[in-house]
Amino acid sequence: MLKFALKNMIVKRVQMILVALSIVISAGIAVLAFNVATQVDEGITNNAGYYSVILGPAGSSTQLAMNTMYFSEKPLGTIPYSVVSTMERDSRVTKVIPFAMADNYNGYAVVGTTPDYLANKTVGKGRLFDPQGSMEVVVGYHVARYNSLEIGDEIHTGHSAAAGDLHAQALTVVGILEESHSSFDNVVFTQLRTLWEIHDHGEEEQEGGEHSDHEGHDHGQATVCAVLVSTKNPGYAMQLVTEYDGKIQTMADGDSFTLQAIEPMSVVRDVLKDADDTKYIVFVLCAVILVMNIMIISIITLLNMYHSAKEISLMRLIGISMKRINLLYVIQNSILGLISVVLAFLMSRLCMGLMNDYVQSMGVVLNTGKIYPAEGLILLGVFVISVLPTAIWTFRMSGKDSMIG
Amino acid sequence: MIEIQHLGKQFRNETEIHYRDLAFETGKSYMLLGASGCGKSTLLNMIAGILSPSEGRILIDGRDMTQASQKEKDSFRIQKIGYIFQDFKLIEDMTVADNLGILRLEKVDLSSMDEILEALGISEKKHARIKHLSGGQKQRVAIARALVKKPDIILADEPTGNLNFAIGEQVIRELVKVSQGKTLIAVTHDDRLAKYFDVVIDMNEITGGMEDSDLGREGAEC
Repeated sequence: MLKFALKNMIVKRVQMILVALSIVISAGIAVLAFNVATQVDEGITNNAGYYSVILGPAGSSTQLAMNTMYFSEKPLGTIPYSVVSTMERDSRVTKVIPFAMADNYNGYAVVGTTPDYLANKTVGKGRLFDPQGSMEVVVGYHVARYNSLEIGDEIHTGHSAAAGDLHAQALTVVGILEESHSSFDNVVFTQLRTLWEIHDHGEEEQEGGEHSDHEGHDHGQATVCAVLVSTKNPGYAMQLVTEYDGKIQTMADGDSFTLQAIEPMSVVRDVLKDADDTKYIVFVLCAVILVMNIMIISIITLLNMYHSAKEISLMRLIGISMKRINLLYVIQNSILGLISVVLAFLMSRLCMGLMNDYVQSMGVVLNTGKIYPAEGLILLGVFVISVLPTAIWTFRMSGKDSMIG
Repeated sequence: MIEIQHLGKQFRNETEIHYRDLAFETGKSYMLLGASGCGKSTLLNMIAGILSPSEGRILIDGRDMTQASQKEKDSFRIQKIGYIFQDFKLIEDMTVADNLGILRLEKVDLSSMDEILEALGISEKKHARIKHLSGGQKQRVAIARALVKKPDIILADEPTGNLNFAIGEQVIRELVKVSQGKTLIAVTHDDRLAKYFDVVIDMNEITGGMEDSDLGREGAEC
């Protein structure tokens, strides 16, 4: 039966390929849209919950949140390290993590922070960098994989990947993070002190001297790009935002700067709200494509069946029972449906891989191996729809066996 | 032994046909001779269980097949009857082997396929598609499909209808030869082929009732 079904499918390969293409396209797009939208949603929401407040320079709140949590935007600028000290003294605060982003390693961002920043991540190889030391780095999974880095290797960072633009100081890889399918996979983490030392901040901090950065702006003291803060309760977070957002602070040397304080969850919610509207439009478009393709699949299948009516009549005349004929066509369409949904799934994963570069700009790394139950339902639905018209047709045929006079 | 008793068929267009009682003995070859529309194909279709008679009985080895269920008729047809259709009824896009192989859907033993194709002189065409064969070759494939399941009864509806006389005669010779020991009932309007059969029956002598020229076609294609 199976052998004959396969032969019959080969004979009708043009129609079969048309049906398969319709299924692959419709199911593939539906699964792809659902998976990407869900992973982006989850990826953004997951990271946002770790911190109550983020303090940084005045500017776009979205940019501040995206930069500190997803490394996806450039830093807004810098604020004095004294903000970190101020927060550490605040009794409402439970954890303070400085954050600085400077330089890159072969295009991967370099972040200066404390080991606390990686508290929710697992070190796959080696260890976290020593908070008291310097020139040690922990690299994300993809950084290590795509640059063939191992524990003990030395790397040089720079403002660009060009050889002449690299800093002379070598940083030693002491740890490699496990793959987290998040933006952390694509980042190099080091002590804040390392960034300062590379840029001569360290000495200036100790000497209380001034420093000009590479673009020639004076900071007057050691700086960070942002300060991530956890509070004892959400109420304190609101208080901190009210107190510090928009506050102009004057430093000892008379320079002043304006702080921005945000609640990352509310910023992310705003971002997701806009994304949700887009997602809704994408889902509606996908649904339209799906419905259109289902119609095409049904029409092609039914046309095939009408075309097969002569064949069915022939089989009946030579004595093949309707039961066998039904089974033959159901097997044929099941094979076709099964191959098509598998191809649709593979196509969606291939597209996800290709989309990863774009999605990473939003701070999310798509996990092509991640499968949601709803995806299975979508594929199952398309499979059933691809088999159903044939099953109905053949069972209707068996109900009114036209051969018998 | 096939016995026809008081058999009659009424079609939807009110056309009626009645057959006088007949008996076809096992192991003999019969030629049903008559013009188009005299009810030859209708009789074959009723024997094969493709058409149900409106009245009368068809006894095959004493069993009244008119009382059998459709499932039983199908089963009987696939196991006991080899039917050669006038227009071959082959799947054009499939090969000779696949057209015979279709019987495997009903678990028919096809071990004699090569032997029969050889006997009919088309063994080299086993893997050729039907659409690439000549009319004579297609007819041989249709005969091979009827014989490969080793049926007790062979029904042939105008087996030479689409062939010129020379090829048709050769086909009939081969058909009679490979049908030795079985009951062969062949319908034709060409009396020049009569010499190859044990018994020739003039259908005009055994049928009565209202007929029209479409009857044969309607019976065959229902």
